Amino acid sequence: MTNATTNRNSGKRANGAKAKSLAAPKRSRPSTVLIVGAGFAGLGAAIRLQQAGIKDIVMLERASEVGGTWRDNTYPGAACDIPSNLYSYSFDPNPDWSRSFSGSAEILDYIKAMVERFDLGNYIRFNQNVTDLAYDDDQGLWHATTEAGEVFSARAAVMAQGPLSNASFPAITGIDEFQGHKIHSAAWDHDYDFRGKKVGVIGTGASAIQIIPELVRDADKLTVFQRTPAWVMPRPDFQTPNWQKTLFRKLPASQSALRKGLYLAHESMALAVIWNSPMTAIAERLGRWHLKRQVKDKWLRRQLTPNYRIGCKRILVSNDYYPALQQPNCKLITWPIARLSENGIRTVEGIEHQFDCIVFATGFEVSHSGTPFPVRGSGGRLLAEDWQRGAQAYKSINVAGYPNLFLTFGPNSGPGHNSALVYMESQIDYIVKGVRTILDKNLKALAVRDRAQQVYNADIQRRLAKTNWNSGCKSWYLTEDGFNATMFPGFATQYASQMEELDLKDYALITA
Amino acid sequence: MAKIDLDKMLEKVKNTQWALSDIDWDAPGADLITEEQWPKLKEFMADLMWIEHVGARAFAAMANKAPTDTLRQLYSYFHAEEQRHANAEMALMKRWGMLDGDELPEPNINLRLVIEWLDRYSDEMPVYVLGTVVPMLEIALDGALCKFLLDTVEDPVCHAAFEKINDDESRHLGVGFTVMEMQGHGATYIKMVQMAARLMDPRLILGIASYFPLLNKMRDNVVAMGLSEEKLYECMRKFEKIGGRTEDGRRNPWFQIIKLHSRWVVDRDNRLYHKPVDAIVKATSYIPRKALPAVPSWVKELTYKPTA
Ligand SMILES: Cc1cc2nc3c(=O)[nH]c(=O)nc-3n(C[C@H](O)[C@H](O)[C@H](O)COP(=O)(O)OP(=O)(O)OC[C@H]3O[C@@H](n4cnc5c(N)ncnc54)[C@H](O)[C@@H]3O)c2cc1C
Ligand SMILES: [Fe+2]
Repeated sequence: MTNATTNRNSGKRANGAKAKSLAAPKRSRPSTVLIVGAGFAGLGAAIRLQQAGIKDIVMLERASEVGGTWRDNTYPGAACDIPSNLYSYSFDPNPDWSRSFSGSAEILDYIKAMVERFDLGNYIRFNQNVTDLAYDDDQGLWHATTEAGEVFSARAAVMAQGPLSNASFPAITGIDEFQGHKIHSAAWDHDYDFRGKKVGVIGTGASAIQIIPELVRDADKLTVFQRTPAWVMPRPDFQTPNWQKTLFRKLPASQSALRKGLYLAHESMALAVIWNSPMTAIAERLGRWHLKRQVKDKWLRRQLTPNYRIGCKRILVSNDYYPALQQPNCKLITWPIARLSENGIRTVEGIEHQFDCIVFATGFEVSHSGTPFPVRGSGGRLLAEDWQRGAQAYKSINVAGYPNLFLTFGPNSGPGHNSALVYMESQIDYIVKGVRTILDKNLKALAVRDRAQQVYNADIQRRLAKTNWNSGCKSWYLTEDGFNATMFPGFATQYASQMEELDLKDYALITA
Repeated sequence: MAKIDLDKMLEKVKNTQWALSDIDWDAPGADLITEEQWPKLKEFMADLMWIEHVGARAFAAMANKAPTDTLRQLYSYFHAEEQRHANAEMALMKRWGMLDGDELPEPNINLRLVIEWLDRYSDEMPVYVLGTVVPMLEIALDGALCKFLLDTVEDPVCHAAFEKINDDESRHLGVGFTVMEMQGHGATYIKMVQMAARLMDPRLILGIASYFPLLNKMRDNVVAMGLSEEKLYECMRKFEKIGGRTEDGRRNPWFQIIKLHSRWVVDRDNRLYHKPVDAIVKATSYIPRKALPAVPSWVKELTYKPTA
């Protein structure tokens, strides 16, 4: 069994890479900062760097468009599940969000408008898929080699290639034997007509529960294959009233007040999600109430009841998922999948469920120990090797042995209860401080100390041990051995305050 | 049977799956069922199929309670595999013209009571109870009944299907006995007391009240078909032999109880047991169907069709 992965994206990748890489690579003059990836993180970093007067930036993006997650995830029903007023940048508020939880296309428009507004277009090199990132000790430069055979260099590098950007197919036997149509949620085929079709959906995670209510309207028959039921909470989704848009435009302070309110509301959820507290029981009761109210059949309810503590895996929000499953043309299957065959999916109860099309809502390749492309640090050390036993960083952002390298969404920076962008803003501002330090002190290398990283991680792991994520369920947050290199064990506010200061004591400052 | 490595077993289970479509249900041989056999076989198959299904539901309850992730997965697979057995047996009934159109065969009243009990209470039972009763049911009913069936029926398709079913079944038993030993390991006086307290649990008493007559009823059905009682008992003794082969296994208090019970069942002269239980069987046969609530929806997932 193999884990098939596609590095797909909607843009065309530059071709002829092989032919070119034989010739001497094309090199350009070193920049100040090199950013891999033009999603929320990369673009946000570029904006803040620019605002801090650092404009010598090059961004490498493998697709032909910006947007990352929101360019790739265009499946029907795709939307954020953190309210838009919080799932957006505070330095670029949008008074015009049409709904409390905006759809994928609207988020992508917001990102594109951001590129226009801050005039980031000139920084971006599209169709540049980074295949190698290496540090040169002598010059104090990072070199990014791309599939197209070009090399881009800079004094500092930012890895913003996204935590969930490589769609993954599950390791199911016979996956290549299926002769019908296959669609991954993160690579939607908008030309496929679902009307009159028998469709199977594998997975019941965040994407699946958005897709299913949409597909059930079109498909002749929809069969949903579930391995583990998730906690599903009611979703307070509504259209933004016009007065609100006007108010936000005329009185921006009102929008930042709402954002603050949403932020605090989500922060309070940390109590339920991160630690096992009285709030956890209350949240579980809310989840069970939601299920009971929407699902009358006892057996179906049993099938949909999670058997792990809330918060251990990502919590989902939906009002129309449970009702969709109960439509006459929809069926939930909880038998384990035995294999895929020419005509469909064989489950262990011995039946072959036949389909015209199978939708894989099976998520992304998440690496807890490797890196998506080789990253070579000081003296040629390999990050994947340093991370063999689980990824580790200092404050999630720097890694000892990899000077001048900054990570977004690095180890233990994941939010379980709040907007990823809230965390991202803290990271980005830290990056700006780091790069400013390099420039102001004219450093060759700003290198975090090994000792500082160890102290930091000992503390993180100690705090993680007490969280719900480490309470015994399997999730993509954990490595196979149950090491949590993904989540930050605390409030977003705690994260923000740890990122507030760049403590030079924890770094070696090497001048040229 | 040696104690097995559960992780390896899970891998093996995952890698050796079969489906109804692996069997040609229209292959020749269906006419080997004699006219005389047919009516009794029909009843027998219906019972057998329902027992598989009841076993399936018990595994579902065990999956939720399993102490480790490996066991949880194993039980989830076994849940589905028992369902597969029921489906395959239904397909045989279809082949032999024993199904009324697409209708599910009616479960007998004692099975109906067990189904009712499972639906209401099985998820609340400690995994120990089911973990011991299920191997007993499997070895006694499945084991004896299947063996008998193969001795009596010559249809090659039936043999092909049961070869696969029995392979699964022996794995279920291997895991079942291993778990019984795990539970017996380090069993203490405290455990005995806890268990005794649990026995007083009215929900469990209800379960026992529906399980005892089921066994006696099955015995009657099987005897009616010409299986010697002795064969059934032989199988039940096997439970005692395998379950009690190690110190740990013997120390499992549930094993002791079920063993004791199976001795009563086997001992026709134990009138203290059989008199009242037979009376219950008789009494339950008077329960009007309408008095029972509608069958739970998990029952409706049975199918004889290899593809959906
Ligand atoms: C369906 C879905 C819904 C989500 N909803 C929410 C939500 O409601 N709230 C929330 O907080 N988070 C949500 N997330 C998480 C989301 O991924 C982050 O919030 C955020 O969008 C990540 O931004 P990013 O820039 O780090 O990564 P991305 O958006 O993935 O961008 C990374 C970019 O890097 C490019 N890239 C990758 N590898 C290379 C390479 N080797 N060379 C060059 N370029 C490369 C990619 O093409 C991409 O454009 C969701 C994720 C998904 C998939
Ligand atoms: Fe069975």
